[in-house]
Formats: sequence, C-alpha cells, structure tokens
Amino acid sequence: MSGAASSTPAPAAATAKAGVTIVLKDIVQEYPAPGGGTTRVVDGVNLAFERPGINMLLGPSGCGKSTILHMLGGVRPMGAKTPTSGKILIDGAECDGAHDDSVMVFQRYANRPDLSVFDNVAFPFRLKLWRQRIAETEWRQRVADTLKAVGLADKQRLRPAQLSGGQNQRVALARALVLRPRILLMDEPFGALDAQTREEMQRLLIDLHNAQPCLVVFVTHDVTEALVLGDRVIVLSAQPARVADDFVITEPRPRSGAWQRSGEAVRMEERIFEQLHASGPGRGSVRVTV
Amino acid sequence: MAEFWNPYATPDARARRLLGVGAVVTVLVIWSLLAVSGLVSPNKLPAPWDVLLAFSYLAWHDGESMLLTATLWSIGRLAAAGVLVMAIGIPIGIAMGAAPKLNAALSPLVDPFRSAPVVALLPILVMWLGIGEEMKIAFLFLGAVVYLIPLVRDAIQAVPQSYWIGARDLGATPWECIQKSVVPMAMPRIADAVIVAFSVMWTYITVAEYVNARVGLGQLIQNARRFSAWDQVFAGIIVIIALALTTYQLMVHLKRKLYPWETQQ
Ligand SMILES: Nc1ncnc2c1ncn2[C@@H]1O[C@H](COP(=O)(O)OP(=O)(O)OP(=O)(O)O)[C@@H](O)[C@H]1O
Ligand SMILES: [Mg+2]
Repeated sequence: MSGAASSTPAPAAATAKAGVTIVLKDIVQEYPAPGGGTTRVVDGVNLAFERPGINMLLGPSGCGKSTILHMLGGVRPMGAKTPTSGKILIDGAECDGAHDDSVMVFQRYANRPDLSVFDNVAFPFRLKLWRQRIAETEWRQRVADTLKAVGLADKQRLRPAQLSGGQNQRVALARALVLRPRILLMDEPFGALDAQTREEMQRLLIDLHNAQPCLVVFVTHDVTEALVLGDRVIVLSAQPARVADDFVITEPRPRSGAWQRSGEAVRMEERIFEQLHASGPGRGSVRVTV
Repeated sequence: MAEFWNPYATPDARARRLLGVGAVVTVLVIWSLLAVSGLVSPNKLPAPWDVLLAFSYLAWHDGESMLLTATLWSIGRLAAAGVLVMAIGIPIGIAMGAAPKLNAALSPLVDPFRSAPVVALLPILVMWLGIGEEMKIAFLFLGAVVYLIPLVRDAIQAVPQSYWIGARDLGATPWECIQKSVVPMAMPRIADAVIVAFSVMWTYITVAEYVNARVGLGQLIQNARRFSAWDQVFAGIIVIIALALTTYQLMVHLKRKLYPWETQQ
C-alpha cells in the first residue's frame, strides 16, 4: 500500500509496512430515534491499537460493534454522521471518510456469482484505485499466491455457486488479503459457518496472520472464538456502548484444547460472560446488518 | 392427478412437448371442423388448407417470393429500431435505476407512456417525420423504448445492495460501483427487458407499416385485406407470430449462453 515499498527493493519491510496505529478518541455515535430525538449507540469509547495483532471485539447484540468497525473503515452508514463526535486517528492523522488502509470482511460474503473464483479475488484490481498502484503482473501473482494461501488454488476456475459456504468465505477473505491491507476489519466473518468449518477458518486466519501480520479488528459474539484468536479482547457494554473490559492474551497461537480448558482460559471466559450478562437481559436485542 | 395442482412438479421435456403439440393440433382440428361444417362462412374464417395454399402462393409465384421480400423488410425495420431502442433505452434505464434523483425526475415523463395509446401517436410522427422509413422506425422505437426503460431501471434496482457495498468498501468510486458491480449483476434482467422490447416491436410492426408501406409484412396483410383475401391475411399473421416466437426463442437461448450463472444462483 505504501508507494515506497513497491518502488524500492523492500528489505524485509513487511513488518515496517504492517505497523499502523489506530486511536479512537471519545467516540460518540447517535442515530435519529424513530419517535424523534436521538438514540446514543456509542458513548465515549476510547481505544488504541498500536501493533499488528488480532483484536477481538465482543458485546451484546445491537450494542454498536458494527458501527465502530465501519467507523474504523471510514465507511458511512446512510442518513447519519459518523462519528457524531470524537476522533479517529490512523497513524496520527485524523481519518474522516473513506481511506484505503483497511479492508472489510463480512459474514455475508458478497461474492459475485458471474465471476470465477480467480476473478472474484482479483476484483479490486478492476478498480482504478488499485490498478493505478499495482501492475498487472504483480497482482496476478498476488492473486495466485493468495488463492494458494487460502487453499483454493485448484478451484480458481469455478464459480461461487459451485463452492461451499466455507470456501466462499475463503474467497471473500482472499479478496481482502490480496490487497495486503495494514488493517483488516472483520465483522462476524465466520458467524454463518458450521462449527467445524468455523474452526478450519480460524486456523486459516491464524496461519495467514503469522505469514503476513497486520492489525486485525475482529467482531464476534462467540466467546470461544475470542479466546482462540485474540491477542487482545475488548468487551463492550450494552447500548450505549462503552468499553467494559479490555485484556491481553499472551498464550501463543494455535491454542490447544488443553489451554482452552485451563484455569487461565476459563477465568477469561467467565470474565467475558460476566460483562456480557451485566448488560442486562432484554436490552439491545435488535440485530442490524449494515 | 395428485401432482396436477402443484406448481413445482414440472413435467419432463417429452410430456411438455406432447401437451404443447396436442393443444395446437386441437385448435387446428376445431378450426378445420368449423370450416368443413360450414357453420362459419369462408369469408369470415378461411379453412386451414386455404391459408396453407395462400402461404405457398405468397412464398413463391411468378418467379418471386413476396413473403421473403416482405419478411426481410420487416426484419430490417425491426432490427434498426431494436438497435436504437437498446442504444438509447438501456443507458437511460441504467441511469434512472442508479440515480434515484434522475429516476424521480424522469419517471413521470417515461412511465405514463407504458399505458399511453402509442398507436395514436402515429399521425403525429407522420406529421413530424413524413411517411418514409424514419417514421416507421421511430414508431417502433417509441413503442418499445417506453417498455424497455422502466424494465431496465427495475433490473438495476433489483440488484442486492450488498454488491454495491462490497465494491464501495474496496475503494470503488460511486460510478465504478454501478459500472463494475451493479450493472453486471443486472445484465440477465436487462436481457429479459430487451426480449420484451422485441416482442412489443413485433406486435407493432403491422401498425408501423400501415402508412405508405410499399413492402413489408404489415403492408402484405393490409393489401390482402383490401382485396378481402382473408386466407392471405391469416397467412401473414401466422408468419408474424412465427417470427416473433423465433426471435424470442433465439434471444432466450442467447441470454442463457451469456449469463449461465443466473440459474445457478
Ligand atoms: N444507520 C442507522 N440508523 C439508525 N440506527 C442505526 C443505524 N445503524 C445502526 N443503528 C442502530 O445502532 C445500534 C447498533 O448497531 P450495530 O449494527 O453497530 O450493532 P452490533 O453490535 O453490530 O450488533 P450485532 O451483534 O447484532 O451485529 C442498533 O441498535 C441499531 O439499531
Ligand atoms: Mg453487527
């Protein structure tokens, strides 16, 4: 993404390139309420992400996780200013509006049914933004490499309808990774997959992250997923969202079943559940997929 | 009979063909019986074999084929109007579907024409464009484009928003979202709209060739009617129906070839 890296022979610059900081300062988000007035969805969130790693974002349904993730990506929901107040700093510079440091992956992979797997992954290079930066020989190589990395090299001529749900999610992940983003924003990306496929995808994410570390912000409602993947776990309170808990997991990945059953992991799990349940029943139960 | 009232129990291809051919044969038999029985005078309903004779007469006599010449002229006019309909109607429809403000501004101008008596516009077109080819092509164009534009707009609006969002999140400009994501996803429905437009043009071809046509299927029917040659009128109508059906089948086939993914969805 940085122009310098492609023009100079990068001396193991991968880590330098991956280094990115995001600071959220007093983020407040309000939406117009149906009966007039406003609803405060996010209420003064302060967070800092300073090194590559997987950051898990948990919280009760409807608390504002997706809202925060979209803010990080500079994507505006319709009919509202985001954030209502507060600042988002990326590498110290205030970010207002779309930027290309980040790429998003959603639960609902929007794979194009008319394009092959290869063309789906290569889709960003049909856009001016990426075509201008990355030469065709390079992006072709990158697509091939990324397809191999996600295990779809032998499926690249097929169409999405000929793939399983997990394979489709791999395509979506590959389309994000092929851009080598410094920030990868994932909104319940594995939420719709069956348990076994989800575990496979988690392992894949760990491998890919080891090979190409970047700053991942990963929204999930699955506590186990948070413990298996996270370098850091952030728990938000029910609407209006505040940071209820924020802790680090130092256990190296992949994390064994034994660790997951260890006292440390169980205590973390209880700690998360406590915060999630503290938000109280019946609140924030509205699900909105943006 | 258990499967009779079941919209999902599609009979196999052979059964379907059998039922279709059976229906056509039944109509032919009833038609023949009416003609033989003398219940309906041949001046009102010519017998099927008379129509067939008329057809062969039109197809070949005195060393020329009136039918072929007429057909080629009609197809030519339809093709010329069709190219115009697509070249002008598709971009307008896409623009209206992609930009709600354009849609709000243009739909009051376009939508009412779907139910407007386009035939009544013919004298106006004659006044503006004279009685030559321009008028005929303009008439076909008008009749079809008012159907095509709203259908293309609807095709664009029917594309799930997730494709638009997906492109935007990857850094596409608003126009790229439309051009690279939304339009390709709308193509099968746009193709359906084009097929409808051609069907509409076939229904209007006789009207288009009503005024001062020296040659064409519409003129052929018109001429036959003047001489009360009802068998030739029937033959002409059947040829138009056959051509319209063939166009339809060819275009549906082409559409399936171009967008095979639509049915895999
Ligand atoms: N564009 C919008 N206009 C009005 N209200 C919105 C808008 N987008 C989100 N909201 C509201 O903001 C709240 C938070 O939504 P958000 O999608 O961020 O929740 P979430 O934490 O991601 O939930 P889930 O876990 O169900 O995905 C919800 O109550 C939702 O109704
Ligand atoms: Mg969400």
